[in-house]
Amino acid sequence: MSQLLSLDFWSLVGAVSGIYAVFALGLQLQFGYTGLLNFGHVASMAIGAYTMAILVVKAHVPLWGASLAAIGAGMLFGAALSLPTLRLRADYFAITTIAIGEIVRYFALNEQSLTGGPLGTSNLGGSTQVTEYNTDWLSFQSTVQGWLHDLVGHYAGTDFAMLVIVWVIVLLCLLVLTPMTRSPWGRVLRAIREDEDAAAALGKPVAWFKLQSLAIGAGFGAMAGLLYAFEFQFFSPDDFDPLITFYAWLIVLIAGAARLWAVPIGALIFGLIFSGTRFFNFKPFTYLDAAQLAYLRLMIIGAILIALMAWRPQGLFGKREEMVLE
Amino acid sequence: MSALLEVRDVVKHYGGIAAVNRATLDVEEGSITGLIGPNGAGKTTLFHIVSGFRKPEQGTVRFGGVEISGRSPDRVARAGLVRTFQHTKALTRMSVLDNMMLAAPEQPGERLSNVFLRPRRARRRERDVEVKAREVLAVVRLERHVDEYAGTLSGGQRKLLEFGRALMAEPRMVMLDEPMAGVNPTLGHELLDRVQELRAARGMTFLLIEHDLEVVMAVSDLIHVMSNGAVIASGPPAAVRASPDVIDAYLGKYGEPAAPAAPEEAS
Repeated sequence: MSQLLSLDFWSLVGAVSGIYAVFALGLQLQFGYTGLLNFGHVASMAIGAYTMAILVVKAHVPLWGASLAAIGAGMLFGAALSLPTLRLRADYFAITTIAIGEIVRYFALNEQSLTGGPLGTSNLGGSTQVTEYNTDWLSFQSTVQGWLHDLVGHYAGTDFAMLVIVWVIVLLCLLVLTPMTRSPWGRVLRAIREDEDAAAALGKPVAWFKLQSLAIGAGFGAMAGLLYAFEFQFFSPDDFDPLITFYAWLIVLIAGAARLWAVPIGALIFGLIFSGTRFFNFKPFTYLDAAQLAYLRLMIIGAILIALMAWRPQGLFGKREEMVLE
Repeated sequence: MSALLEVRDVVKHYGGIAAVNRATLDVEEGSITGLIGPNGAGKTTLFHIVSGFRKPEQGTVRFGGVEISGRSPDRVARAGLVRTFQHTKALTRMSVLDNMMLAAPEQPGERLSNVFLRPRRARRRERDVEVKAREVLAVVRLERHVDEYAGTLSGGQRKLLEFGRALMAEPRMVMLDEPMAGVNPTLGHELLDRVQELRAARGMTFLLIEHDLEVVMAVSDLIHVMSNGAVIASGPPAAVRASPDVIDAYLGKYGEPAAPAAPEEAS
């Protein structure tokens, strides 16, 4: 039970929630505003994390440059993702994106000389040489920790520093996305979500706007991938399985489609559910071992999703009336 | 002088059936032109082709002297040729006002760079567009619904919204696919009055598909009649009304059972 009172533990939960918030914001733009069913969102996260790590370890690019390149690579990937939308709509596009997400993961799994393969980033520099991509990040993090120490004293652990960094980034993302979605640009996205033929008939270049939405959304995904890499200091292709995409969907559905500021709240709720099961250390849960508890967690998430669809399909912050319009 | 819209020998098959079969017609600048014909004659398919939603297998479409066949719908619209749909496409989860404002062309705020770098230019344009949108909404009698979701409007109101939205796009020519279907007759006639005013005031050109023959005859300068995918007669209303080909097309040859003027299904 001591974990319940541990600031480090809750900092970790909060930071991971924040990372998922950034990740889900990308999906919110793609799905909530533009109506694109992207079921391969995790690929942008993988591309972000891998691009950064490979550039740092293999090409000795400075971390900030590698991070920018990673976001750029994510956006390029998103732009490429818009190619199938030219011909495929709705569910067909969704199926394609699942496949694309898996292609990216399998590529990372098998292209061992580039990605380190199943051993993940520990194998990036080959098996003989231990290399890390996050040395510069750790020094940045401890700088931030130093600032925080001056503010809040001994509460400022490394996890707490990460928590603050992540949520500052979440806030910045929201401050960038808010004017975008409220602008005439965002209005075109919503029009495409409602009826892309109507948008085209009014002179809006639908394909170009879908490309922008997918590219920017994937940029946020790549940013989440960077934060994920920094938070856990190691990753492998297993970290980017399709389930991660559905966590983002869960967050968007909890929040409500096209509700930007609800996304971090959805992410926090998700984070609590996700980490909450570890407190099931009383009967009857004590009969389960750790692995079974992990599956219980997924079952709870699934049950919440079903309950949400049945009783509150608009999400916590969505508008009911928007669900019944045709 | 050549016509504003020139359709030449356009062909389009669906499955094995020729929906449009060597259709040829002209629409003169500043005219109100009617397009009539029995159900399944290919009128809506021709609209899809002219507006860029379908590609013709053969033939050409020229607008303002420029070849537009094969262009994407948004480029056709930006060239000044805007259409409405037989089955209305209200953007249901957007407000009526947003539906209207979306249609306005040349909004700098639709460029992402301007959202951040020139927000005031975008806002200024938004203000002008909103004033205009409210004016047009008053014309189509939707001013009381400005802030409602477009999805709450009735079928007839959606027709009116689409008409208003097309006008917001500042078109040179508007193609209306059954603008009066489901609209109450009084409002429908007001809509046609407005069409005539716009033609008189701005020289705007209209091409309309309409099943109410009395209405379309009364309002059009020229009428094209389609049957089985081809334009079988063209001329002033009185001449078309008297044409034996047209009577055959509508009533069937040799006294076949007549089936005119039922609402047309989607093609």
